[in-house]
Amino acid sequence: MHWIALQPGPEAPGTTASDAPGTEAALVDAPSAWAWWALQFTPLVARVEAALVLEVSASERLFGGRTALLDQLLKPNWPLALVEYAQGATSLVAYGRLQCADHAADGAAAIAPDALPLHTLVAARAHLPTLARLGLSNWGQLRALPRGGLVRRFGAGLVDALDCAYGQRPELYPWLTLPEVFDVPLELLSSVETASALLFGARRLLAQLQLWLRARQRGVLALELLWELDARRSNALHVDAHHTGGGQGRLVLRTAQATQDMQHLARLLAEQLAQVTLPAPVLHLRLRSVQTQPLAGESVSLLPEDVRHGDSLHQLLERLSARLGAEQVRCTTLLADHRPERMQRWQAAVQTSAAIDSGANRADATRARGLDLGFCQNGLDDSRPAALYPSWVLATPLRLTVHQGRPQYEGPLTLLAGPQRLESGWLDGAAHCALRDYYVARSTTAGLVWVYCERLGAHGATGQGPACWYLHGLFA
Amino acid sequence: MPSVRVAESRSVRVQCVGLYCIKIQFYECLHMSAPAHLLSRTGVHLDVWQADALAGAPGRVVATGDALLDAQLPGGGWPLGALSEILQPPGVHSEWRLLLPALQRSGTGAVVLVGAPHLPFGPALGAQGLLPQRLLWVAAPAGGQGGAQRLWATEQALRCADVDAVLAWLAPVRPEQLRRLQMAAAEYAKLLFVLRPEQAQNESSPAALRLWAAPSGDASDTLEVRAFKRRGPPMEQPLHLTARPARLACLLAASQTRSGDALDRTAARA
Repeated sequence: MHWIALQPGPEAPGTTASDAPGTEAALVDAPSAWAWWALQFTPLVARVEAALVLEVSASERLFGGRTALLDQLLKPNWPLALVEYAQGATSLVAYGRLQCADHAADGAAAIAPDALPLHTLVAARAHLPTLARLGLSNWGQLRALPRGGLVRRFGAGLVDALDCAYGQRPELYPWLTLPEVFDVPLELLSSVETASALLFGARRLLAQLQLWLRARQRGVLALELLWELDARRSNALHVDAHHTGGGQGRLVLRTAQATQDMQHLARLLAEQLAQVTLPAPVLHLRLRSVQTQPLAGESVSLLPEDVRHGDSLHQLLERLSARLGAEQVRCTTLLADHRPERMQRWQAAVQTSAAIDSGANRADATRARGLDLGFCQNGLDDSRPAALYPSWVLATPLRLTVHQGRPQYEGPLTLLAGPQRLESGWLDGAAHCALRDYYVARSTTAGLVWVYCERLGAHGATGQGPACWYLHGLFA
Repeated sequence: MPSVRVAESRSVRVQCVGLYCIKIQFYECLHMSAPAHLLSRTGVHLDVWQADALAGAPGRVVATGDALLDAQLPGGGWPLGALSEILQPPGVHSEWRLLLPALQRSGTGAVVLVGAPHLPFGPALGAQGLLPQRLLWVAAPAGGQGGAQRLWATEQALRCADVDAVLAWLAPVRPEQLRRLQMAAAEYAKLLFVLRPEQAQNESSPAALRLWAAPSGDASDTLEVRAFKRRGPPMEQPLHLTARPARLACLLAASQTRSGDALDRTAARA
């Protein structure tokens, strides 16, 4: 058995309020982060007071020996930096040496168990004054006393602890595990009035999340940020916030690809928080992972020209959608229909981003989905009827005025080609029924346009009255 | 320092361009020792060109699909990693005619349209060779806050590795904002087209290429293109390009041969 005891050093980021150097945010809970880090070296990690103890004898060989393992464990690794450690044959010895190291840094590792001072034994702390009056100062003197008397005087706990410390009893702890779900609260140092200022606390939580994701080798797909409102200090404007029980707020963040990239998440969070109004100051934050998935490593190329320069498409889509709104960023799907307004469907890109992949995949996917209507083949083929369609289409057809029997759009229109008769949509009901004659027309100022004339009989018209002309597209 | 020839018959403006080139050459010679691959055959840096000839583009270009237009553009195509400005009269659209062949060739990544005036019609673009799935349509209102949003969206799109080309419709925009876009395009080597109304032709712009395009007023049905700014001499004669895809032109020609007023009669009857 070989135990290592760790505790955050006096200047560890988690113990001081000051931010870590550089742009990285400090951790919320440094001991937990250390435990998650240590769990990759051994499953036997436990917390003793503020320190961690690790049993590493079983995994020493895997990591190439005790020294190599210690090197990896203590490798300078932001944000886990600046720890103190001590080793020993049992966890209590290691922890006792660690506490001695606080006071006398030099030579603490070599202190024999018998020479360790009594205050380093947790079980003896309660009896320290009595033990001092007995003239005992270290473990060896305590162990030399008769067991029966010790048990009667101080209880069985002290003797059991001594047995554990000298390896005569197995050491059992509530072993730490890596939680399945990341759920970390954060109490803010001062109440926060504006939503965008929550970002500072959220960054610290994200830094912690990143460590958890690395330890679990997973990427996050969805997470939620919750905050608790300080109900006593709600604004006059939002008095009803706590009357209605609205003491909490939450924000769900989703990303299309599982990621460990906290920069991207922080940017998304900033965009979303910018649209939130806080009805009352916030004192508590909580970050919870909603959905994660295993993250496969990314293969990178050795050649410099293969290294892609810039963000990925899903990051762009999410960032644009977060600021402008999901409906403002759209991509298209082609549909099989004869009505031009139904030949394509523009929908929010974040929802269909699975369809937007690399270009080659997209072409394949389109063919596979049976949407090959003659316009998805590779290369230019002018024989397709779609080549005659305009390149811009109006979302809703524009009703044109008719003057002396001629439709007008920025001047009178001259019909050049047509009619192309369209009769479709009768299955979908009268409102979607299209009975139209399409023409290519020339406007004096706007170039070629695509207009249609509602044929008589559409929408139950009786055939009397002037025909309705609509502008539906522009040739560009 | 190599001399700069200025053709005698050219206008004062050409001489100004010539002096500008001299100035560039002077600074280049003083401050930069250009690496060998950036020098042309005459030993001059590629960013410096003779006033009466087109510059050879130091970066890559994407051919426009039109030999006439290629011959008039430095390097023989749309510059990659530089801002190209296209000015159009209001209500007139020629952008797909000009840009579609280049977008088709640019790769397989996304083509981002920022602030497009209408919806692109996927089937038509697909038939002309641009996969509609590549299109990404980003809407932001023009002017005020929306103008800033368009600029922001354009810059974000340029920074994305999966984007091949960005088309941005920017109405009121300041030169420094355009410069920022130009820098982003240069850094990430993207095709960037900014489409602006023709009133902007008198404003200064950091664009590497500024074109004006509109259908010609006469009955010839051609697209008239003028270059306001390019790395080379001013364009003296406007270009006349075919304004339509071949199939549509055939249809229009065939319709012409039919009795011209048949359609008008149709309209009158309707």
